[in-house]
Amino acid sequence: MKNLQKTYEVTQKVERLFEVTVTQTDFWEAVLYISTQTEFNTLSQIACADWIEEEHFLLTYILTTDARDKNLMLKLTLGREYESMPSVMTLFPQAEVMERDLHEMYGIGFEGNETLYDFVLEQWHDLPPLRREFDTLAFVHEHFAFKGGREDNKDVKVEQKRRREEAKKQKALEAAKQEAKKQETEKQETEKPKEPNTHATDAEETQDKKPDTKEAEDGQ
Amino acid sequence: MQKGFVAYNNEQKSLEAETEGIKNSQTLIQKAMNWFSARSMFVVAYGTGCGAIEMPPVFTSRYDIERLGVVGVATPRQADIMIVSGYCSLKTLRRVIRTYEQMSEPKYVIALGSCTINGGMYWDSYNTIKKLEEYIGVDMYVAGCMPRPEALIEGFVKLQESIRNNTIQPGYVKYREDYAYYQANQEKLLGKETQPVYEEDYAGMNLS
Ligand code: SF4
Repeated sequence: MKNLQKTYEVTQKVERLFEVTVTQTDFWEAVLYISTQTEFNTLSQIACADWIEEEHFLLTYILTTDARDKNLMLKLTLGREYESMPSVMTLFPQAEVMERDLHEMYGIGFEGNETLYDFVLEQWHDLPPLRREFDTLAFVHEHFAFKGGREDNKDVKVEQKRRREEAKKQKALEAAKQEAKKQETEKQETEKPKEPNTHATDAEETQDKKPDTKEAEDGQ
Repeated sequence: MQKGFVAYNNEQKSLEAETEGIKNSQTLIQKAMNWFSARSMFVVAYGTGCGAIEMPPVFTSRYDIERLGVVGVATPRQADIMIVSGYCSLKTLRRVIRTYEQMSEPKYVIALGSCTINGGMYWDSYNTIKKLEEYIGVDMYVAGCMPRPEALIEGFVKLQESIRNNTIQPGYVKYREDYAYYQANQEKLLGKETQPVYEEDYAGMNLS
């Protein structure tokens, strides 16, 4: 850990998770250094996220210690246009399948990995399916037909949005109601001490108001 | 629960509709054959989707389907029944087709779960098929996601009944007679190689 902090800028994400960001050119040097000179000597996962708006992939190599008590995320960005990375297979043999998977799902090349042929998808000729420009629904409708009975199904996302908004509105309404009640009760409470209980009529009035305030309190 | 049964009934009706006439035209030998094959069902041990999880309890002591004459068997060449237990990816479909074609007749297919009927919850997945009946002959649908072992057993019993009484036109007959239709569907989806090809050398390693 000390070694690592000397050479790289390490940010601590949570208690046992650390993060180092490198550039694509520095990557090989960094991974070589970390795996040999620090305690993070095992690769447990390679994750990839497709940031299509910013036109890059975010690759995260998750390295872990022998004792499996700390994790390090080694992050780098990679261009989306079928660029390639150096393979880390020589350091971690288990990277083979992870790289193969990334190659198949995102079209990322890995120099030095010779197994980048069909993996989970067999004879796939379309775009790599996890790239975000791959239109899943269009693909489904092009290749499959459905039986009747699905006409009345709703778009899940639209329906979710609608329900969420409805719930929000309901909440806002209730909050407004409670606000109004609160204000009423506050008014009553502030009015009370102003009027001294000298007259019998006043006492009656306050008695009338009491149940209202109780209800408001219950509602809260 | 109720919905599942409605779907089941509709699917089943569509399978049974054409077969009213067949029922009474059996010879004595056919009757005997049907009776025997209904009482001895060998199921090839092959699971595709999440529904495969429901099969072990069916075959082991909890539900013990052997009392109904249903037994598991390790190779498709000796099997009478294949259970396609749930969603079926394109890669799996190649294996399913090969398994199905290796089985000798009479052979029957039970499609387990909503995924095999109309895509189920994977209806918008790029990698699973939606209607199994387009690619192989299907004899019995069991709807549900996932169907309980009881439902699968009911499927077996219904299938046995319909084999004994000859009330459905078996899927394998359709497959044999209508092979062009099935093959066209398979090729449209999978390309020319509708069955798996094992010729890759694994990273230069000799596996044999
Ligand atoms: S029907 Fe449900 S349980 Fe069965 S394979 Fe599909 S998703 Fe899984």
